[in-house]
Amino acid sequence: MNLFANAIHGIPLWWFLVLASALFCIGLYGVLGRKNAIAMLMGVELMLNAVNINLLAFWRYIAPNSATGTAFAAFIFVIAAAEAAVGLGLIISVYRSMQSIDPETLDQLKL
Amino acid sequence: MTLQQLIFLGLAAVIVLAALFVVSTRNLFRAALMLVVSFFGIAGLYVLLDAGFFAVAQVLVYIGAISILIIFGVMLTRGMQGMEPRNTQAVGGAVVAAIIFGVLVLLLGPFHVTINNREFGNIAWNFAKDATGNAPAVADTYIASLGVALVDVNQFALPFELASVMILLVMIGAIWVARERKVAEVQADRRDILAEEREEEASIEAAKAGASSTGVPAVPAAPGLPETAIAHGAGGHGEH
Repeated sequence: MNLFANAIHGIPLWWFLVLASALFCIGLYGVLGRKNAIAMLMGVELMLNAVNINLLAFWRYIAPNSATGTAFAAFIFVIAAAEAAVGLGLIISVYRSMQSIDPETLDQLKL
Repeated sequence: MTLQQLIFLGLAAVIVLAALFVVSTRNLFRAALMLVVSFFGIAGLYVLLDAGFFAVAQVLVYIGAISILIIFGVMLTRGMQGMEPRNTQAVGGAVVAAIIFGVLVLLLGPFHVTINNREFGNIAWNFAKDATGNAPAVADTYIASLGVALVDVNQFALPFELASVMILLVMIGAIWVARERKVAEVQADRRDILAEEREEEASIEAAKAGASSTGVPAVPAAPGLPETAIAHGAGGHGEH
C-alpha cells in the first residue's frame, strides 16, 4: 500500500480527505453538544467548510479541467452564507421573544 | 518532506486546533474569533489546491460576511454568554462524532477496503493523469471556464438563477423574521395563540366526554407563557 500514490507536490489525496473528515466530525460535535444556538451555527459552518475542502480536493486530483467541481463549491459558498443569515435572524428573533437561545428549552412552537 | 507537505501539515494543525477550540469553549466571542482563524487556515489550504479564487472567496464570504454576522449575533444575545458549554447530550454527541470519523477515515483514508465487491480508499479513485502519467496542472483559465459554466444553458445556468432567487428570498425572509415588533403586536399574537390552544383543549375534552371508555390517555395541559418577561423585554426594545 503506497501511502503517497498519486501525490501532487508530495501531498496525496487522502490527507485532504482525512482533514475534511476530522473537521466535519468536530463541527458535528459542535452541533450536537452545545447549549447555545449560535455555537451550533458555528458547528454547521465548520461542517460546510469541511465539505468544501473535500469537494475542491476531489476536483483538483480527479478532474481539474472540469468546471463541475468548482461550480459545486461556489454554490456551497452561496448557500452557506444564505443559511447563516437566515439562521442568525431567527436566533435574534427568538432571543427577543423568549430571552433564551438554549435549544434544550426551546421545544415549543410558540412565541 | 517537501515544502508543500510541511505547509499542509502546519495549516491542518491550525485548522483542527482552532476548530476544537470553537466547539469546546465557554466564551462565545473567542469561539467566533477562532472560527475566523480556522477559516484563514482553510483559505491557505485552497491556495495549496491551486484554487486561488476560492481562497479569496473564502476570505471574502466566510471571514468578511459570515463571521461578522456571527459576531453581531453574539453581541446581540449578550444575556446568553458565560453558560456551561456542553448540553446534556454532549457525551453522546462526542461518541457519535468519533464513530463517524472512524468510518470516514476507513473509507476515505489510504486503506484498501473492499465491501460487497466495491473498493473504497485511495486506491479506488480514478486519478487524472496527463501524457507523462502525472497529475495535470490546473489551467490558468479555470475561473473563466467556471464563469462560462455558470451562464451556459447546458451546464449550470439554472442553478445559478435559482441561487439568485434564493438569495432574494433569504434577504426578504431574514428582514421579516428579525423585524422589530411592538409590544402590542407581540401580546396580540400571544393572545391569539392562547385562544387557539383553549379552543383545542375544549374540543379534545368534548371528544373525550363523547367517546366510549376505551382509555384515551389524558392530554397534558399546555404551560402558560411568560407574559411578564416578554412584555418587559419587548417594552425595553420598543422604547428606543
